[in-house]
Parts: sequence; structure tokens; C-alpha cells
Amino acid sequence: MSVEVEVDENDLAEMVEQVWESYLDPEGVSPLMQTYDENQPSEVHSSVSITGSWNGHVVYASSRAAAQRAAAAFLAMELDEVSEEDISDTLGELANIVGGNVKAMLPPGAQLSLPQVVLAPEASARFPNTERISGVYGLWEGEPVSISMWQSSTDTKEEGA
Amino acid sequence: MKILIADDSRVMRQIVVRTLRQAGFGDHDLVEAADGQEAFDKTTAEQPDLVISDWNMPHMTGIEVLRQLRAAGNNVKFGFVTSECTPEMKTAAEAAGSAFFIVKPFTAERFDEVFAPILG
Repeated sequence: MSVEVEVDENDLAEMVEQVWESYLDPEGVSPLMQTYDENQPSEVHSSVSITGSWNGHVVYASSRAAAQRAAAAFLAMELDEVSEEDISDTLGELANIVGGNVKAMLPPGAQLSLPQVVLAPEASARFPNTERISGVYGLWEGEPVSISMWQSSTDTKEEGA
Repeated sequence: MKILIADDSRVMRQIVVRTLRQAGFGDHDLVEAADGQEAFDKTTAEQPDLVISDWNMPHMTGIEVLRQLRAAGNNVKFGFVTSECTPEMKTAAEAAGSAFFIVKPFTAERFDEVFAPILG
């Protein structure tokens, strides 16, 4: 049985703020400006699955330009030095960081998967039998970035805790 | 001192290295491992003074690495840098002999606070 999830938009927004403060915007000059538009487009995305006391997925999605900028910030590189691999690794780590922080707020007995990265829009992803329960949607220097949580509506087929 | 950084994410290993530098610990000898098995093998072979390990890694998780090291009689100073931080994980880490627990995202100030007493 999945528990009633205790992680809401405000919690996600706080995690996102910490990621920006620590890695993506340490100077505090370009925060993620929330748009509250859950249908904003993306070009790349990454996700981690959580199973056990809660079952679902945490998804990070953005434009390619935003992913490139994130990789440049993570790796202290110039934008034009960023490789495809840098973008993939950065996206995976972003999903891992947010997913780990989400997991910490769930009841004991949740397992976090290793991240999965897809260099294609989030809209191309399918998480069967899930519904989006919360998310933070915004623009980072004009580029779309979102973090959302998808909860499994049936978790009997999921891996046990 | 020799420091081993174990994380399956190359990006995160680079961030840890950079943050160590920012916190003033860049002069130490830094070694990297890309999964739990490699962390165990390199810790045994290279005998670092400190291991900074991720929790969730392929082949062997960080806590498994720590337990196996201790089971093999290796008492290297070992701690975690992880995005996951639940009370049960902290308890398990401490019980296994972990010296610190740093949660991602972290700052250079946090590194300084944790590593200054260890690295001097």
C-alpha cells in the first residue's frame, strides 16, 4: 500500500532552491522563476524510481539549453565545452539529488533506483499507472525546467520493499 | 593525506573534488572510484587516509563497502556524501563505523565544517 504522500510543491520548491544555491546559481543571480505551467515543453529528462513505502517516480525535465547550462555549472566549464556525456551525467545527478531528498521525506522503507536519463522530451516518457501529484515548473534564464513527482496508482506489481 | 572519492556519477565526483578545493583541501592526493566494488578494491590497494563515499552505487552500495572494509579489519576513516538521508540510513552508517554524513546538495562551508577536524 502506498501511503498518502507527504511531499508537496513547497517541499519540492525548497529542494530545488537548495540545488540552485549549491550548484546551479551559487551567486544567487539566476534562480528558477516559477511559472506554475505543468505543460511547459521539455527536450530532455531524467528520472529515479522510488519503491517501498511509496511507489512512483521523480522526474527532472528541461530544455536542452538548460541542461547544457546545468552541466556547465556542475562541471565548472564553458557552455561550448559541454559534451553530450556531460549533459547526460548532469541530468542523472539532478534526478538523483532531488529523488534522494524526496526519499528522505517519505516513511521508512523506501528504496531509490539509480537514475535513468533520456535525451528526449518528458512528454515521450510513459510511467504506466501513475499520476502526477506535484511539481515545480519554471524558467531558468528563460529556459524551461521542471521537477515533478508521479505516484503509482497500483503498486501491487511494483517491487516489494 | 590521500583521499578516495567514490561515486558512480562522474559529475558528482568532480563536484566533490571542486568543493574540497574550495574548502581549502585541494592539496591532498585525490583518488576516484566509480562504483562500490572499485571503492572497496582501491581502498584496500591504495590505503587512503579518508574515504568519501556515495551511498547508492552499482555492484556494492556505500554501506556495503564500509561493512566489508571493517569486516576485513580495515579501519580507514570513512563517511558518506549522499542525496539520501533517512534516520535509518544514518543509524546504519554510524553502526557500521561511519565518521560523517553529508547530504547533497552541499556547500564548501559544509565540507569545511566536516573535514577541517579530520584533515586539519
